[in-house]
Amino acid sequence: MDMNDHAAIQAVLAGDKDAYGALVIRHSQTVFRVAYRITGNEADAEDVVQEAFLRGYRKLEGFESRANFGTWIYRIAVHCALDSVKRRRGDQDSRVGDANDPELDQVQVADQAAGPERLLLSGEISSVQLAALHSLTATERTAFVLRHMEDRTTAEIGAALGIDPNAAKQAVFRAVQKMRRRLAPLRVTT
Amino acid sequence: MTHLTEEEMIQQAYGEGENTAAVERHLEACPRCAMAFTELKRDLAEIERIEAPPRDTRYGVSVWAAIADALPVYAPKPRSGWAGAFAALWSSHRSGLWFKGLGYAAACAVLVSSAFYAGREWQKRQQQPAPVAHVEPKPQAPRQPIVVVVLDDHLDRSERFLVELKHADLDSSGMVSPLREEARSLLAANRVCRKNVAKTDDPDLTTALDHLDSLLADAANEPGGLNAKSIAELQDKMNAEGLLFEVRVLRTRIGHRAAEPDKGGTI
Repeated sequence: MDMNDHAAIQAVLAGDKDAYGALVIRHSQTVFRVAYRITGNEADAEDVVQEAFLRGYRKLEGFESRANFGTWIYRIAVHCALDSVKRRRGDQDSRVGDANDPELDQVQVADQAAGPERLLLSGEISSVQLAALHSLTATERTAFVLRHMEDRTTAEIGAALGIDPNAAKQAVFRAVQKMRRRLAPLRVTT
Repeated sequence: MTHLTEEEMIQQAYGEGENTAAVERHLEACPRCAMAFTELKRDLAEIERIEAPPRDTRYGVSVWAAIADALPVYAPKPRSGWAGAFAALWSSHRSGLWFKGLGYAAACAVLVSSAFYAGREWQKRQQQPAPVAHVEPKPQAPRQPIVVVVLDDHLDRSERFLVELKHADLDSSGMVSPLREEARSLLAANRVCRKNVAKTDDPDLTTALDHLDSLLADAANEPGGLNAKSIAELQDKMNAEGLLFEVRVLRTRIGHRAAEPDKGGTI
């Protein structure tokens, strides 16, 4: 573990609240990045960053001194981001994405109007990808982001989400399958 | 032939296959699975990573400013009796102080032994004719990051001063006088540090020392001395500039350099 993080935590627990600021400064960029990738929204990501550091501070007494603070706060941030997505979208974990997804329909209409070539060339494919990501359940989306964009192993994803590694693996599988299914029409038409 | 499932391919594509060698062999032997696997990898490669909007270097400071007020202060938990002693020992062990303590104890033991031995040797020599002095050249001490250490020390003192200022009791005149004296002392040291830092390309450090200089000058030269009103103004100024926090961050950074002798001459 980074000695500076360790020293800062000791100082905070000894009553020096301001020492926590050094930890916030050091890790806020990483936390923001993962929060943004999971929430897909700048304002929500900002909230997640603050909430993660607040939660981290309150749980600091339970922090294992041999653990890595960066990894620890990262996991808290993933939890916060997942909660944020769930709150925003309601309980959608039971939802199965299908062709009637209004969000995707909207994108598909736009695709038809613009034409697939233009889509690919103008970079609008990114927005289709984002819509496809939004069509996933909160857990699938988070697991996929952690696997595909943050290069986390399924074991790490399981730990971050507080679920069994097998469940994390299944969430990644389902996410990949849905993403491919939703992005397939773009490829067919090109 | 049993074909690979999509799950196995996804796992393989992410480098987490349970039996990578067997899957690879199968992919070499089975054109159908090989094609499916190629398509999967292409699909995954086309899903772009979401890039977070950039945040400037002050982002962490703004996050801290937003949450700092909502955080309670942890109260140290003193314990008494054997439990307290054990907890302190365990705590010092966890933070590395245990080893430091052992080190100090060993150093003291060596010192005492050396003094005893030196005393005996001196006694013997008093009784013998003095030999021709042979002075061994002293081994050269390793190059120390003196300037960085001095700066580290200065920032440390400044931090303590700012903490005292932050918590200064506006109604207590007893606190005011030492603050002013310390401000004067720090002001002189700060000017030396500013001069040294000006030769380097470190805008953050330069800015912080400039802010510190301004605050120290106000504290040291307040006409009529410090009083409740001027202390409150200094506290406002310090808070507005986030000076205490700035100094803490710099101290952490400089402390790093001080611990790395090869970077000693950078400031």
